[in-house]
Formats: sequence, structure tokens, C-alpha cells
Amino acid sequence: MSLTPAPVLDAPRLILRGPERRDIAPMIAFLLDRERAWGFGASPDRGEAWRWFALNVGHWHIHGYGYFTIEMKGTGEAAGITGIWNPEGWPEPELGWVVFDGFEGRGIAHEAAARARQWAYEDLGFTTLTSNIKPGNMRSIALAERLGCWFEREYDNIHMGTDLLYRHPGPDAALDRDDDGSVEAYA
Amino acid sequence: MSDYPDIPVLSTRRLVLRGPEAGDYPDFKATFASYRSRFMGGPLNSYEAWMLYAAEIGHWAIRGFGMWMIHDKATDETLGMAGGWFPAKWPEREIAWIIWPEKSGKGYALEATHAVRRHFYERQGWQGAVSYIDPKNLDSIRLAERLGCTRDPEAATIDGSDAVYRHPAPPVAASGQIRDGIELEINHYCDPLFKPKGMPID
Repeated sequence: MSLTPAPVLDAPRLILRGPERRDIAPMIAFLLDRERAWGFGASPDRGEAWRWFALNVGHWHIHGYGYFTIEMKGTGEAAGITGIWNPEGWPEPELGWVVFDGFEGRGIAHEAAARARQWAYEDLGFTTLTSNIKPGNMRSIALAERLGCWFEREYDNIHMGTDLLYRHPGPDAALDRDDDGSVEAYA
Repeated sequence: MSDYPDIPVLSTRRLVLRGPEAGDYPDFKATFASYRSRFMGGPLNSYEAWMLYAAEIGHWAIRGFGMWMIHDKATDETLGMAGGWFPAKWPEREIAWIIWPEKSGKGYALEATHAVRRHFYERQGWQGAVSYIDPKNLDSIRLAERLGCTRDPEAATIDGSDAVYRHPAPPVAASGQIRDGIELEINHYCDPLFKPKGMPID
């Protein structure tokens, strides 16, 4: 038996691929950075951060989806993670994104998350997606809105506590499938 | 990971050990939601149990070894888990096990861990291993001793609350003294020499 691997997705400036051993160090550095990882869920120590890396691989195996590593074309650097997350206890599958230190302000999260969403809709057959955002995480809320999401409700997340659930536009709207030029496509 | 390892299948007299699959999760969850898991960091809520299960699977990809799901060879039902466990912060590679509460007392953990240790020693080149055991977990301490482990008070612990049981090194584990004793005990579980006709009435 072998574990379910992630596909490799191509975006203009980025490659989305499955987690690999070389991503362990940047991922752990991110998870231990309380300030940066606050909205994602920081790890209290190295052991827990390592475990998160492992469980993402397991998430891929169990669900056939999980967090991709965002790799910069050209340099091959790991710039962050994005993907679909749905552990037990989650309200529904969510599209998540994280950009590592030094990679913000370049639209990397937007490009990566949009590509992951396209994959979820086109390849996995999802009909809807959410993003769960901690109240006060203004950068993520701004990105969610750029992705066309709207605030749906506040709820109590089993792991994160009070959380905001944003709803993504469905496959047709997100992928511009209904682009016959008629008015309703832009309504 | 493009270099995900193949998870080997280990077969023993009564058991088949395979990599953990999504379909096996409910059995894992039931045990980790129960008091049975109190010596393994539990009981856990459903989120924590799922995340631990996912981590056990991912451990294989990072370390090249991990925890197997133990199946009954005849019925394929799951009985527990056994294997190698070496997450960050662990001082040494551990041989670990857990048997579902309703499946205990039949020697499954002994049979599984014996096979797992042989695999690590003979196929993966391990030169030793430890088991980190809560000092109150008498069943596990007894199992460690049946496997030939001895308490190593000098060894580093995970967090100070666990006792370190050191497994015999490969040549000792392969010796008749240890191996024949374990296999005799497993044989006795499979074919009890003394089969009581009924339970005594007290």
C-alpha cells in the first residue's frame, strides 16, 4: 500500500504540489511563529508543529485532498500553503491559504488559492466551498473578498473557537463558466 | 511526497498488519475517545482523534516507517495498532502499540509487536528501540517485559512522566531465550494447552 499523493498544479508564477520533506523546516518555522500563524492556528511547540506536517500528509491520504505547498517557479522556494481542509469536526470543506514570511504583498496567496479552488471545482467536483477566518484577520478577509466570497455566519470552531465562515462563489461563478455575455453572468 | 514509501504488509499466525486506511478510522476513534487511551494522551475529542490518525499516516511519509493497523487474519476486523513511532521531540525510535479495549487479553499486542520488531531489526536495520510507557500502565509494562525489554532509568524521556523500556538489541532479540519464549507464548494463545471446560463458580 502506498499513500495518496497530491497532484501538481500549474499557475502563472507558481506550482502547487504535495508536501515534501524539504517543506518541513519552513512549515515548522511558520507554525511556531505565533504572530504569523495566529489566524491559522499556531503550534505551541516543535513537536506539535511536526505533527501538523505529518497530519497534512495523512489528510491527503484520507480525503484525497489537503494543503499543497506553494512553490515559486524559478527559485523553487516554498512560499506558503493552500488547499482544501476538512478534518473531523470541521463545518464543511474549506479553502485555506497561508503565505510564509517574505512572500506577502505579491498576490501569491490569491493566485494559489484561486488555482486550488479551480482544482476543487473542476477535478474534485466540489459544488461549494467555504473559508474559515478568525475574527480580526483582516488580510485574510480582504483576500476572501477578492476571491468573491461573502460572510455567511459566525460559528464555534472545535479547534479555533469563534470563527467566521465565508462562502465562495460556486463553480460557475468562480470559473466564469456562465460567460455568454448576458447580464446575469455579472449580477 | 513523490517519494512516499510503500507500506509493507506483515503477516503473522493470526494477524495481518497493513497501513492505516480511512475506513479503519472509526475503530481508532472509538478507542481514542475512551478511557482506554488515557496512557496515550487521550481521551481525545473527535477533531483531536482524527488529527492524530492523520498524523500516524503521515508519519510513514516522513520517517519511512510508522504504525500499522492490526487486522484479524480470518475476519479482517481491526484489533489495534502497532509499529514504530518517532515524531519530533521523541528522544529515540519507539515501538508502540494499542489494542482496542474489547480485543485485549488475547496476545494480539505481543504477536504484533514481535513481528514489527523483527521487521525493523531484520529488514530496516534498526539497532535498537525503546517504548515510552506511563508508569501506571501496568499492562503495557508487562508486555514490554514479555518482549524482553528492561527499564532504562538513564534514558531520556519524552516529558518526564513516562518510563523508558529498552528493547533487547537485535542479536539478543533473535536469541532463543527471547524469541522462543515469545513464540511459545503466542503458540499458547493460538492453541491453548489447557482448555478449561467451563468457568469455575466462586
